[in-house]
Amino acid sequence: MATNPEPPSATDAEAAPSRGRFEEIYDAQVVPIYRFIYARVGNAPDAEDLTAQVFMRAVEQLDTTRDMGQIVSWLYRVSQNAIADYWRAFYRLPVIGADQVGAGWEPVDTAATGPSDEEASAIAGGERARKQVDSLLRRLPANYRRVLELRFIQRLSVAETADQMGITRGNAKVLQYRALRKAALVGEVADG
Amino acid sequence: MADEPRDPRENIEEAERFEQYLDALISGERPSPDHVASGDEAEMARTAAELAAASSVAQTGPQGADPDPAFVQQLRLRMRQADQAIASLKVPPPVRSVPAGDAFTGPTYLSRVRISRRALLQGGAGAAVGLAAGALGLAALRPPPAQRPLGGDVPLVPGEGFWQTVTTLADVPPGSAVRFSTASFAGYVVNDGGQIRALSSVCTHMGCTLYFRPDWKDLRCPCHGASFDLKGQLANGRDTWKQTGGYRGDATAYPVSLPALVRPAVKVENGQIYVWTAQV
Repeated sequence: MATNPEPPSATDAEAAPSRGRFEEIYDAQVVPIYRFIYARVGNAPDAEDLTAQVFMRAVEQLDTTRDMGQIVSWLYRVSQNAIADYWRAFYRLPVIGADQVGAGWEPVDTAATGPSDEEASAIAGGERARKQVDSLLRRLPANYRRVLELRFIQRLSVAETADQMGITRGNAKVLQYRALRKAALVGEVADG
Repeated sequence: MADEPRDPRENIEEAERFEQYLDALISGERPSPDHVASGDEAEMARTAAELAAASSVAQTGPQGADPDPAFVQQLRLRMRQADQAIASLKVPPPVRSVPAGDAFTGPTYLSRVRISRRALLQGGAGAAVGLAAGALGLAALRPPPAQRPLGGDVPLVPGEGFWQTVTTLADVPPGSAVRFSTASFAGYVVNDGGQIRALSSVCTHMGCTLYFRPDWKDLRCPCHGASFDLKGQLANGRDTWKQTGGYRGDATAYPVSLPALVRPAVKVENGQIYVWTAQV
């Protein structure tokens, strides 16, 4: 890159305060944004990648002179786009690509604000997660519920799950497949 | 979805493949879309992901869904570096004086010579002509659609534009570029694996004049180091670095996305290469 031998200009001075604000925004929002993303992708490596994508995009495009409410909205909107793109790959749909979908600065709509304060603390406390899992599993037939409990809640392998249930590994794989197919039909786990 | 089949032998193949997705997900590794074969399975994968996340939190408490502190620290650092790199782009490039006796003094009409890198770096009239393209607007660079010639007769509309010959096909072998300037703009004719294309020489960042690097086959900006490929797209941005781990001899990725280079309309006829240029 070109080096600049000239003395600091007014442009540099204007840039400095917004950089400090940028890190302030990051420190306040990185954990809630990561949790929001993790709840929807279910694994840490992907959650880290998508969180990085959101904040790296913010470095390029976020207007840090806006008020915090608008900034938080923008971050959640970008996160939703990133999550949608992530799942589009699974549906074999063409990925839109972060650069082409502008998050925009339209008026705040409730869909893009992320969880409210009470919701956020309930999520953080884990009670909501427990309720969501219970509520979903309760709607399933007993054997489907059992296989998903063993795999997801107890984090057993397929082999261990099969042993617990007294069935073959092959049967366990088919059972979990059907259980998830049914679970996908009956409802959503994550908040809206 | 279909009604539940009773026979456990049904779904066995899909179940085997889908288990590869679940196994990665549940062990906390990165799962792959390769093991998810249909829209229905994608719905199942989503449910599984949400279930995996919710059960982490349900079992271990809030820290089940919290980021690794090392990751948070690393990202903070990465962002600060990117932010500084972007801030340095806002500094306008230093203006260089053109030495006396430079080949580019005076207005240029048609030039078909291959330009040496050193001459290009001296800027001068080339840069001024390049910037004129912006002043005239894109209208000068494309023939109006209704009148775009399809080969054969060229309909000339007085006061609009015309096809100006800039070089010959023989002068632009594959992987090379020839600099040209017309009365209204400057650019390169490039041969991208057999495809002849005209690209503006104006960098889409701050308007500096790009120079062609024959060993790397890109158009490089002397001001802040942007590189454009022979399609006119930014070639050394963060996306490229993510895919290839680097770009040519660069130390870091170009930190912002830039629009693609403007493409003047070009045609090849009887071994002559023409660009559409405004009537001046």
